[in-house]
Amino acid sequence: MSEPLLSVRRLSAGYGATTVVRELDLEVRAGESAVIIGPNGHGKTTLLRALNGLIRPSAGEVLLDGEEIAGRPSEQIARLGAVLVPQGDGLFPEMTVEDNLLMGAFLGQSWRDRRRSLAHVYDLFPGVKARADQQARTLSGGERRLSALGRALMRPSTILMIDEPSLGLAPVALDAVYGAIAELKSAKTTILLVEENFTHVGGIADSIHVLEMGSITRSGSYKELSEDEGVVAAYLGSIT
Amino acid sequence: MTDLVGILVTTVILGSIYGLVAIGMTLIYGTLRILDMSQGSMVMIGSFVGWGILVSAHWNPVLAIVFAFAATFVLGMMTQLVSVQPLMGRRKAIDFEMVTFITTFAVAMILENVALEVFGPQQRNVTPVVSGGVNVYHGVNLPYQSIAMAAISILLMGGLGLFLGKTRWGMAIRAVAQDLDAARLMGVPVSKLYPVTMGLASSLAGVAGVFLGAQFFAYPQAGDLPLLEALIVVVFGGLGSLPGTVYAAYVIGLIQATTEVFLGTTWSLPILYGVILFVLIFRPQGLLGKPSEARL
Repeated sequence: MSEPLLSVRRLSAGYGATTVVRELDLEVRAGESAVIIGPNGHGKTTLLRALNGLIRPSAGEVLLDGEEIAGRPSEQIARLGAVLVPQGDGLFPEMTVEDNLLMGAFLGQSWRDRRRSLAHVYDLFPGVKARADQQARTLSGGERRLSALGRALMRPSTILMIDEPSLGLAPVALDAVYGAIAELKSAKTTILLVEENFTHVGGIADSIHVLEMGSITRSGSYKELSEDEGVVAAYLGSIT
Repeated sequence: MTDLVGILVTTVILGSIYGLVAIGMTLIYGTLRILDMSQGSMVMIGSFVGWGILVSAHWNPVLAIVFAFAATFVLGMMTQLVSVQPLMGRRKAIDFEMVTFITTFAVAMILENVALEVFGPQQRNVTPVVSGGVNVYHGVNLPYQSIAMAAISILLMGGLGLFLGKTRWGMAIRAVAQDLDAARLMGVPVSKLYPVTMGLASSLAGVAGVFLGAQFFAYPQAGDLPLLEALIVVVFGGLGSLPGTVYAAYVIGLIQATTEVFLGTTWSLPILYGVILFVLIFRPQGLLGKPSEARL
């Protein structure tokens, strides 16, 4: 089996004196779609923030493509190809959608490459193209989420991390967002996605990890975990 | 009609100069969330650079502008590295705005006293960048110096707008102002961007200093009044709002020019501050500012 693209060993992180992620281990292989599920407040977002340098881990190691990234600033981690679609989308509210997309290609691309990436994203998300000249703050929840996903695709990534893409979306928007993620998976993009429950991830998850109280407590395929009554009953809600 | 032309001309001149100094402060506030009290010193340094090049060296006026821009750009970057950067890592643990208000004020005092030591307290005449003038309308005389001052200010403000709106690094500055974490996730090297932003803002004040020096002399306290006026423009326009700053600069220029024509210069400042007091009571966020937020 190949070396993992992302390897997390005994990672601890939190805010001030409060530790949220505790000695967490995780591996994601190239081309894999890994999903982390777990209740609110158990450390999913904190994990992604620590992996992307937005908070400094208090202990542990994180290797991305063999390179240690724990404790490095976000901008350096971004240079290694990590791309995060954060919770709340992280769009620049006073910029147009197109300027937001162009910011996604801030790192080392020529003007021509940026225009090419822009055309690619517009092909993938025609709805985003229709809003190109609109300020990001005026978008609906679904449009924001698709724009943020589009921005994440503006530069080549080694791993794409997405924080709760379903949060607060209406069913139609949700289908569009997960449809886009499914396309990324079929293009063999390495994905690490966090969600609160099983409901939407069946079609995209190669592996699922349950995160409770800051640590991974169970891992398996979608089928394995959806047959675990304890997991379903205690933490994960309904399965479709 | 003569009064009206006089008011319009004065408004454009005053507004352009106020705008040039204030827009730098807005750029810094929008990006770093600090009120940079060293900006007045950059005006002062610009005026001394103007004096050195135009009066002492008798060089081309364009060189005065270029040198003032370069010198204050470097000084602005150094000010950020000395008085702001060491505090960046602790910005959430301290009253960042208040502490940096004081640290940049300390830099201003150091620069002012170094200038006092080097140049002495006397006011020095600075040759106008361009001499002569034109009669625009029945006795309303407009010095070429004022035209150049307004034109270069407008050019620099427009250039800054284009830079922020259309270039990769300009967009990065706006991105940092709007969402720091998201900008870092895009790969924007914020620790390099901050000093460059403060250098850029300082260089605008430096260029303004070349013109203000010719208008009001070069001396160690030459930046104090422009700093105060820029602060008023920045707050009146809405902290962190670039369009608001430009708008406010010309509104304040208009108020001052109108008062001076109809009531005399004695009433200029009381009326100006009265209007500002009135507006800020009803719109504490300023003309174009957003409540509790600042966006470039």
